[in-house]
Amino acid sequence: MIDPRIWLFWAFTMLVAASEVRNPLYILWLLLVAWIVEIRWALHRGQKIPWSFRWGVLLIPLAGLFNGMSVRIGETVLLRLPSWLPLMGGPITLEALVYGVLNGMALTIILSAFLTFNRATPARDMVRIVPKAFYEAGVILSIALTFFPLMLRTVQDIREAQMVRGHRIRGLRDWLAIWLPLLMNGLERAVRLAEAMVARGYGAPFPSGSPMGVQFSLAGGLTALLGGWLVRLFVPQHRDAGLGVLLLGVGLILGTVWWVGHAHPRTGYRNRSWTLWDGLIGLGCGVAAWILIDPFSWVDPQALYYSPYPRLLLPDFHPWVGLGLLGLLIPAFAKRSSEID
Amino acid sequence: MKRPIRQAISGAIYTVSSLLGVSAFLYPFFIVVSPQSPAQAHSNDAPLVTAALLGLLLMAMIVELQGQTLGAKMVALLGILTALNSVLRFIENAIPGPGGFSPVFAPIILTGYVFGGRFGFLMGVFSLLVSALITGGVGPWLPYQMFAAGWVGLTTGGLHLLRPLFGPYRHQKAEIALLCAWGFLWGLLYGAIMNLWFWPWAVGPPDQTWSAGLSLADGLRNYGKFYLVTSLAWDMGRAIGNVALILLIGPPTLRTLERFRQRFYFEVRPAHD
Amino acid sequence: MIEIEHLTYTYPGSPAPALVDLSLRVNTGEFVLIAGPSGAGKSTLLRCLNGLVPHFTGGTLSGKISVEGHDPVREGPHVLSRIVGFVFQEPHSQFVMDRVEDEIAFALENAAMPPGEMRVRVEEVMHLLDLTPLRSRKLETLSGGEQQRVAIAAALAFRPRILVLDEPTSQLDPQSAEDVLQALVRLNQEWGLTILLAEHRLERVLPYVDRLVYLPGPNGRAPMFSGPPREVLPHIDLTPPLITVGKALRWEPLPLTLKEGRAFAARMPALPPVQRALSVPPRENAPLLRIQDLHFSYDHHPALCGVHLTISPGETIVLMGRNGAGKTTLLKCIVGLLRPQRGQIWLNGEPITGQPPEKICQRVGYLPQEPDMMLFADTVMEELWTTLRNHGLQHAPPVPPCDLLVTLGLEGYADAYPRDLSAGQRQRVALGAIAVTRPRLLLLDEPTRGLDYWLKQQLVRLLRTWKQDGTAVLLATHDVEFAAQIADRVVILSNGQVVVDDQPTVLAASPLFAPQVARLFPDTGWLTAEDVMNAYPIGV
Repeated sequence: MIDPRIWLFWAFTMLVAASEVRNPLYILWLLLVAWIVEIRWALHRGQKIPWSFRWGVLLIPLAGLFNGMSVRIGETVLLRLPSWLPLMGGPITLEALVYGVLNGMALTIILSAFLTFNRATPARDMVRIVPKAFYEAGVILSIALTFFPLMLRTVQDIREAQMVRGHRIRGLRDWLAIWLPLLMNGLERAVRLAEAMVARGYGAPFPSGSPMGVQFSLAGGLTALLGGWLVRLFVPQHRDAGLGVLLLGVGLILGTVWWVGHAHPRTGYRNRSWTLWDGLIGLGCGVAAWILIDPFSWVDPQALYYSPYPRLLLPDFHPWVGLGLLGLLIPAFAKRSSEID
Repeated sequence: MKRPIRQAISGAIYTVSSLLGVSAFLYPFFIVVSPQSPAQAHSNDAPLVTAALLGLLLMAMIVELQGQTLGAKMVALLGILTALNSVLRFIENAIPGPGGFSPVFAPIILTGYVFGGRFGFLMGVFSLLVSALITGGVGPWLPYQMFAAGWVGLTTGGLHLLRPLFGPYRHQKAEIALLCAWGFLWGLLYGAIMNLWFWPWAVGPPDQTWSAGLSLADGLRNYGKFYLVTSLAWDMGRAIGNVALILLIGPPTLRTLERFRQRFYFEVRPAHD
Repeated sequence: MIEIEHLTYTYPGSPAPALVDLSLRVNTGEFVLIAGPSGAGKSTLLRCLNGLVPHFTGGTLSGKISVEGHDPVREGPHVLSRIVGFVFQEPHSQFVMDRVEDEIAFALENAAMPPGEMRVRVEEVMHLLDLTPLRSRKLETLSGGEQQRVAIAAALAFRPRILVLDEPTSQLDPQSAEDVLQALVRLNQEWGLTILLAEHRLERVLPYVDRLVYLPGPNGRAPMFSGPPREVLPHIDLTPPLITVGKALRWEPLPLTLKEGRAFAARMPALPPVQRALSVPPRENAPLLRIQDLHFSYDHHPALCGVHLTISPGETIVLMGRNGAGKTTLLKCIVGLLRPQRGQIWLNGEPITGQPPEKICQRVGYLPQEPDMMLFADTVMEELWTTLRNHGLQHAPPVPPCDLLVTLGLEGYADAYPRDLSAGQRQRVALGAIAVTRPRLLLLDEPTRGLDYWLKQQLVRLLRTWKQDGTAVLLATHDVEFAAQIADRVVILSNGQVVVDDQPTVLAASPLFAPQVARLFPDTGWLTAEDVMNAYPIGV
């Protein structure tokens, strides 16, 4: 089993990759990587073609078409629509079409990566990686996941109980007889659950309020973030100062969150230990992320950059970049545990 | 003495977060404005920056709300109402409604209206998060969804202030009409916000646009066109669905929540003597 | 050690106090049973011990409470959670996590216990309650009894010195209830845990109990009794049949177990076995319902395999059988909620197989296991009208709804909010909601679940009233004493087949379903305390 945090890191690296890269060769490369991992981890029983493949078939031509219709630059004009056509009139260029297709591929990569993440990580495990500062939020998620199947069954019970009173679903109005008992049942359960939690020492029945310091530093952090950002956007001569204030704000917020997490100690019953595969995948993602953020600045700072405009040119392919991005393929080789729910 | 200060800071946190949220959502348009946006690598960062910023905002607001709102009762109530809302979304997946219709918004609006903006915010955030966990919908769009749905609840808290006008248990037509209009508005707005997560992909980097120095207004106009063509019909389904659902379940749901609130909340009287 | 002095408590918004001037003392290591009708304040009293009252519920409280030297009112439930473990009525409404181990560890994680020690504690309580084989199971896949044992384990994770349980078995079938109660007896006898238990099924725990506390009146008006069971039982008017018989026949000292009872019974003068007169003429009448060769399976798991059954008008038939024998399935097939794969059902000679449930239910009333699922209107009266409207009968109700409320004993509650009523009242509202079409046949699924002796007697009276109008009743139950009181005929299902279809006296010989009186006086054909008291004039 791969640690959910590692899966998340992987999916995020894929997301960053898909956002950064527009070089058709790298995009294709990443798409292949995404599909291989998806086939390895995210196929339902009896399924042959990955879901995101089907999405891609739909999404890629659509994105191409959309961009082709809305962007008028590029030198290779394929077609000229009459200008009296609203929104669509004007030249349609090969470059714009290609760029749209690349956008569609990037979106497909993102879909595929997160599909894999969702399929490979049970919801419970996702909740377990919620940081300590969000303990209450984690408990809410946990309760919701515990009660979800119960509530589904309750819907069925309610339907039956209403049917034997002669109830039928003929129109929208008839859903009331399902919704209201469900809501009432949920509210009553909430009281009983809260009572059980309090009896087991969970917090106070009413909130005591966080320390004023937390509130102050959150408010301060947010204000700095907003101020810094606005300065950066609208006062070009102080861009760097703006960046500094912005980072200060981010730091304040993250620091507060960290502090809140440590002010209320909690321990975990299940402590997952890191495995070799976790390490390998993490390393692979790290390499890929590094290439994406700082693409061999010592070789060629523009290695990742590609634009089809004004005229479509054959893209470069740096073998080192290609190799580095292969770090994202490592999950395809990791062992799948046979744990079944 | 301390309470007014606390409330003032809380208010400041919500206001600044909302402003930041607005600017985060508008960020793609600002990039277009920015005169010297370098036509180089990192030109597609907008959605990442926005998602990261929204994540940060969500963290700050949840920490703030945890401290202020979440006793055992609220935790249990939120957990179960969230499960309930996910059941609705699950049913919706099985029986799809028209266009972008989703039954999750009506409960967010109704609970936000009865229990206030803070509760509404958390209800929106967790409803979207839990249903994403259950249906396998975790992705870069999730912070957008969570934040937008949280906003639906938070802003409904503003309507909450109007409640004394309507009085308890009465729920006149005006009250339901107000909530319906609200649901309609947010049905469209939610769609407009959600499109933004892939809008930069749809329009590409700034150097793709044919005239340099495109203004914010132009950007918005472009987006308006994009929205009209691609989303309006779809989002209309959501807006009208919200209205229909609030008309249908609104009055009895408000009554039920009201009764329950009176049982669940009470003044803690000094126990001794 | 628990000491309560002059405790008076009123719920917020309630006109009358729930507990009045109550004083009680419980020694360390005692097993205390708290009895009394619903609404007498049992739950309230228990919740005072860990500070849920008043910290969770609000309201006003006066008097003094001391639990192992702590004051729950001042220190609150958070502190008391280490000293008092608390288990609630419904197992599945108290869980936060999805798996056994995680649920037990939840409170410990929350209290930041070091992981090493946490493991020890979790292992320890799992061992104590025989949960080790179930450790990584999902809670929703466990039976009610297993879930309740997990809840007990979770309550014990802090190693509290006192365990408090609020009707932990009322939602369980007898076998699961037995498991839970046995676990409690073991915890008390072998580990010296102080246990306070509110419980309806006195007969199962009385032999083990050190002290019986009886809260007699609604709203705590009447005085409370506390002492060894033999001293308190004479003050209780509704008791298990063994105790009722023992009291009526003046057996001294009062027997608490069947074994003790049999010694007295053997000394009673022998009487010839009686035949119970059938209250319904036998079956020459045209049957109301006829079932022939009914088959049903859930995804290849057969649940009914060729059931035959006939019901005559005015007959009360009790359907018994172990869990999973097919009782609920049979009822659901009759009303059309499930479609039988084979077989035929006739109602008044007309085949109804395959008809939609909403059509069948106009003539057959079906009360599901959880009647709460039915109720959602703003008033009790509105619930009845909702059903009438569903059937299109609102212009010509077969029974005037006001009269029906009188029959149900709800005449004062026409405008009450159904969800505010007690469990027994809500059940009767649900019964009203299905009986308002005046069905000739009522199907009831586990109608006594969660009811105490007093409420069961009310139900018996109600069903007898309807019986006189010629309404037939088919009810599925695990409750043998209830079955003995009400049955004209007993049908026992096993593995989806009818294995017994006979007079209720067959229960006497059944090792599984014999009521207490039949075990006390074997070979007499007596089933209920009434039978014994009719046979022996008072005070032989």
